[in-house]
Amino acid sequence: MENIKYFKLQSAILLLILLALACDDHGIEPRPETPADKISGFRGKITFVNEWPDSIKRAFVVVFKDPLLDPTDFSIFNLKFLSREIPLESPVYEYSSLDSAFIPEVPGPFPPGSYAYVAVAQQSTPEISLARKDWFVSGIYYTSGDTTQPGKMVIPDSAFVEDINITVDFNNPPPQPPG
Amino acid sequence: MRKSSKKYLSKLFLLISIAVALSTYQILYAQVFTISGKVLDSKSNPIPGVNVILLNTNYGAATNDEGAYEILNLPSGNYTIEFSAIGFEKIRKENVVLENESFILDVILIESVVLTDEVLITAGKYEQKKSDLTVSTEIISGKEFTERNFSNLEDAVRFVPGVTMTEDQISIRGSNGYSRGTGSRALLAIDGLPFYTGDSGDIIWEMIPTLEIQKVEIIKGASSSLYGSSAIGGVINSLTRDISDKPLTIFNGFYGVYDKPYYNEWDWSGGMRPFNGLTLSHSQQIEKFGFNVSLTRLEESSYKQDDDFKKYIGFLKAVYNFTPTSSLTLLANTFNKRAGQFLYWKDSRNALVPPDQNLGDRIETNRYLFGLIYKSLLVDQVLMNIKTSYYRNYFKDNADIPNESTSNLYRGEVQLHSTITNYLVLTGGVEGTLSGVESSLFGNPDAFSLGAYLVGDINFSFPLIASIGVRYDYSKLDSLEGSGAVSPKLGLNYKLSKDFILRSSLGTGFRAPTTAEAFTSTATGGITVKPNPNIKSEYNLTFEFGVNYTPISFVNIDGAVFQNEYYDMIEPGIDPEDGLVFFSNLVRARIQGGEAGVILNLLPNELSLSFSYTYLWARDLETGTALRYRPRHIFYSGLDFRKWNFDFGINFRYTSRVEEIDDELVDLGIVVDGDLRVPVYTTDVNLGYNFITYGLPMNIYLNIKNIFNYNYVELIGNIRKIRNYSFGFNLAF
Repeated sequence: MENIKYFKLQSAILLLILLALACDDHGIEPRPETPADKISGFRGKITFVNEWPDSIKRAFVVVFKDPLLDPTDFSIFNLKFLSREIPLESPVYEYSSLDSAFIPEVPGPFPPGSYAYVAVAQQSTPEISLARKDWFVSGIYYTSGDTTQPGKMVIPDSAFVEDINITVDFNNPPPQPPG
Repeated sequence: MRKSSKKYLSKLFLLISIAVALSTYQILYAQVFTISGKVLDSKSNPIPGVNVILLNTNYGAATNDEGAYEILNLPSGNYTIEFSAIGFEKIRKENVVLENESFILDVILIESVVLTDEVLITAGKYEQKKSDLTVSTEIISGKEFTERNFSNLEDAVRFVPGVTMTEDQISIRGSNGYSRGTGSRALLAIDGLPFYTGDSGDIIWEMIPTLEIQKVEIIKGASSSLYGSSAIGGVINSLTRDISDKPLTIFNGFYGVYDKPYYNEWDWSGGMRPFNGLTLSHSQQIEKFGFNVSLTRLEESSYKQDDDFKKYIGFLKAVYNFTPTSSLTLLANTFNKRAGQFLYWKDSRNALVPPDQNLGDRIETNRYLFGLIYKSLLVDQVLMNIKTSYYRNYFKDNADIPNESTSNLYRGEVQLHSTITNYLVLTGGVEGTLSGVESSLFGNPDAFSLGAYLVGDINFSFPLIASIGVRYDYSKLDSLEGSGAVSPKLGLNYKLSKDFILRSSLGTGFRAPTTAEAFTSTATGGITVKPNPNIKSEYNLTFEFGVNYTPISFVNIDGAVFQNEYYDMIEPGIDPEDGLVFFSNLVRARIQGGEAGVILNLLPNELSLSFSYTYLWARDLETGTALRYRPRHIFYSGLDFRKWNFDFGINFRYTSRVEEIDDELVDLGIVVDGDLRVPVYTTDVNLGYNFITYGLPMNIYLNIKNIFNYNYVELIGNIRKIRNYSFGFNLAF
């Protein structure tokens, strides 16, 4: 009788120990720090042609992951980079994904991948707004001189892409996305 | 000769008779013993009326009001003594040998949790046997809070089958994801008084003093037909302990430390972070008046930076019995907290510190709940309950422009309960709430709601119980259009035998939007949240079929399948018109699954094992994706061993990796490395010792939680408690 008791007790403890040992690792672990020369991201230069219109209250560099084919694509879920405000009246503005930005909130490595739409967008509303109607695109990033369609920015793994340059001609704005 | 021999024989007979009488006297009166002692519950309260029986004899006794018993005139021998009382697990003490002296035997009876018909559930607004219910129900016994050092109710419900927690947000069978304190799909009540804030409608678990809890009942599935809005996913009814007949003071304390983090990168403090708590509680009955009063202080340095806190919890339950059939109860619960405000980690390499911009964020909270409950037996079999309550909630953070909010919630309910016949029990009532908010986050909206309900429980002559109920609610939230909802339910309980019980329920639930969901207006980190004046109530249709089977005395099996259809489920989303975040009726969802649990009392009253598994399939039917923060697999197991004065337990918890999270917070770079998440495996060990047999009414406890120091998140960017050790005691006098 006592033997059966101890067998039951031992079996129960053994079962619990086996279950507990199922967690043979320590779960979440810190991601390795990216060496400075392996940080992925992008940088470029914005060149402003002609005078800044007085109506502009603020302007930003924006990066969208997916193409802007529908008004709903102009959404915060598709917006992967929103720079700090470009100083008004600047003739030239150099920027980098490592700079402080609205999106992402914390600067750091920018996720590698393909980004469909990189542009400079301006607003004339008194307060910052994320509504599509409050945005006007004043310059688009093009690749290989093809100005018929937005250029795709491709960031390889562990690579910092240079020369994501945009020219803004306030007198000759590019085609606007839907919405 | 004849005469003299006759005389001689007479004398001899007399002498023999005297000798026999003397020896019998010695046997009868010199060789008898007494067994005596006290019977206490796990909180060292005396238990009156316990049957104490020496098995296979005619000897026995019952305990008096002080829990004392005495069995006199026992011959020497080897006895087995059985202690039994309704509501407690039976105990047998074998090999009690009476040889040269009497015996003192003090015992502690453990409150019954399962496997007994006598467990009563009050979450249905009156006392019912657990085995008579038509819905799945779980119970947490009050003793677990001290034995396993749960200083917060939310830590205990984490181990309830089918229940998961995402930080402080409860999800019963997948009812909730994580809505950052803007509403709950489960209703918490304390002694039947609903307990949610007037602004966010959120549950404040930490406010309830765990030492005062006698038991917690958890009803799984929509309970809107009784409780109205917020009970769409279930009800957690926390019952405070009864007032002690004799003056009883309990001093409870614990001290613990968090181990160092597993990874050196995370060791931001360079030391082990302490936490401690003290509670002083007193209970007394003075003629018709009785009270429980307690003060609790909790302090924690926390394993996370800026997550420290100091909390003070005050509790009073005062009861005045006008007559044996009428009483007035005052409940008062106060809460003050000063705490850091850790929202999410800096990144995975700095997982226990907040982002630089959030360093030093703090919050202060003051909350008060006052409740009055009047009970009276109006006429034979008709009981009236009148419940009123006032709940004030205030918080303020230390932002440059502080977020500050005050809400006042008033509630009243009149309920009548009647046992019309042995076959029909009716429970009905009306209730109303009124709330006002002054807040920098939510504005200054007012709200009110009215509800009326009627439930009939019919006991048929064959072993079928049918529960039929309906409730109507009307709610109006400030400028929003008022809306009404009818919530019917039908439940059946059929006992194929006393060991094989079938249950089934079908009903609807609803939840009105909270003030926070309708009126939150704030901007942070590039995200602007706007109010939604068009938001409306969400609804669900819920079905459950369950079986409870006890094939042999020490095995209990419970299984259930369930399905919940949600309509107009309130979730945060983006308004395509302006790109702003708002709460709206976005989701048509389905949550279905199954649940199985086994309890094995391998060695009765000594060793028990329990296992439970829940499968959840929770889907947004429009996108086909999983609902956020719902794991697909949930598994809990526990071992409990009690012998001599020791008790020992191991509890293991597994939930699978959640499929969907707040991706936008990761994509927007707000929670860096926020995509990191893993399945949850945690193991807790507890060891206790009771000194009552030494005449000292004290228990001590040692707890090691998360013994394998497994790192996991429930909410993105928030590592849950790392390994910690604590020592506690419970002294009653």
